[in-house]
Amino acid sequence: MLRPIATIARYTLVEALRTRLPMLVIAAVLALAAASTFGHQLAIAESARIQIGIYAASARLASVFIAGLYVLASMAREFDDRGLDIVLALDLTRAHYLLGKLAGFLALGVLVAAVATVPLVLFASPAAALQWGLSLALELAVMMAFALFCIVSLSQVPMAAAAMLGFYLLGRALTAMRLMGANPIAGGDSSAHQVMQWMIEGLALLLPAFDGWTRTEWLADAPAGWMEIATLAGHGALYVVLIAAASLFDFYRRNF
Amino acid sequence: MSERGMAAVPRTVVGLLAAAFAVQIAWQASRPAPTARAEALPLPYSANAMRALSGSDTIVAAQLSALYLQAFDNQPGVSIPFAELNYARVERWLAMMLDLDPRAQYPLMMATQLYAQAPIAEKQRAMLDFVHRRFLDDPGRRWRWLAHAAIVARHRLGDLTLALRYADDIARHASGAPGWARQMRIFILEDMGEREAARILLGGLLAGGEVTDPQEIRFLSERLEALRAAENSSPPSRN
Repeated sequence: MLRPIATIARYTLVEALRTRLPMLVIAAVLALAAASTFGHQLAIAESARIQIGIYAASARLASVFIAGLYVLASMAREFDDRGLDIVLALDLTRAHYLLGKLAGFLALGVLVAAVATVPLVLFASPAAALQWGLSLALELAVMMAFALFCIVSLSQVPMAAAAMLGFYLLGRALTAMRLMGANPIAGGDSSAHQVMQWMIEGLALLLPAFDGWTRTEWLADAPAGWMEIATLAGHGALYVVLIAAASLFDFYRRNF
Repeated sequence: MSERGMAAVPRTVVGLLAAAFAVQIAWQASRPAPTARAEALPLPYSANAMRALSGSDTIVAAQLSALYLQAFDNQPGVSIPFAELNYARVERWLAMMLDLDPRAQYPLMMATQLYAQAPIAEKQRAMLDFVHRRFLDDPGRRWRWLAHAAIVARHRLGDLTLALRYADDIARHASGAPGWARQMRIFILEDMGEREAARILLGGLLAGGEVTDPQEIRFLSERLEALRAAENSSPPSRN
């Protein structure tokens, strides 16, 4: 069971490393590090904090979108080139193929997170940078798994990209939405508000609250507790399993 | 795209999906509800930094900054009274907006109509002083906010000397301001019991021909007569 998955994962990773993706990630990290240094120079107070804030926020966003869009493009190309048909003609199950691709993408996510963390070792404490990097790797794992689910289920890149972006933005904004919904300034008794509140709470059960992941405060103020990172790892693993199961469900139902 | 039936999905996949879904719901439901936490107002970037970040579109940068600052007292789930805001930082935000967009009235409106309403005299004075300083940079456009500051000083702070100082500066620097704003100092002087000074100023205003509206001339003449009458009826000075 594991051997075919590992083989597909290795080739998925090799394919990614042979494209221009590594150069894109490195260029983005260098550009964002330069932009944050520019912010450092402009600031008249708390310049180190500002540099960390600018880099951490922009690097997290760039990593998520580069990695997520790579998954979409790579899988779409595989579907279009009929490469999948050849793979499935071999002695492999659909689960082997999809889990292998997922494992390859997850390994790629770890590499992207590692590259994005390198400048932070210069700006912040090593322990905080390590926690931030681990959390980014977990965030990328969830987002790349979700991107895989989107492209398997929706097939078309624009729709899948829109769903992926919506998922990420909703995950980032969900806690703020819950707080605003729970403590409205006005109109809290209306039925429309109650329905909205139920919907938001329902979404909170389904989606990961990304605002608690990969936090800039860990770098700028004080590192997180390792128990918090362990909890994020547990939730990240659970969420990847959930999305992988959903992807397999859709993948098995698909006719090629 | 055609789909195969549910039977095509292995039971292990269905079981894994159901189990993972149930654990996810249980995990999220077991987490405590988020609690609101008031965040301190951060320092703004400098005007030059904002100019660079906005691609030199300074008006938009100033407007977005104004909306951010305005919304800051209503953070998600928590409402912060103005009195609890750090006014030194609020002032730096307002100054940055005016540096970015000197023609904007919004920052001075926020200073006088929002932040000067905090029930703490020290904070009210800080905002009025800010408005006064920025008025001197462009009296022709900003006189109305100093006029409002004079009213706040007179009625909320009860500081007639401060109100008179603002009213004097409107009359001295804002030649384009309408009569009521430039005449404000006369009525403040009257409130202060400085009837003679008020009478001299009012007489000078009428004699100088600055007021041309007949209704206004009649009203001010009546005020002048009332001042004279009050002065004549008041007990003579010991000096």
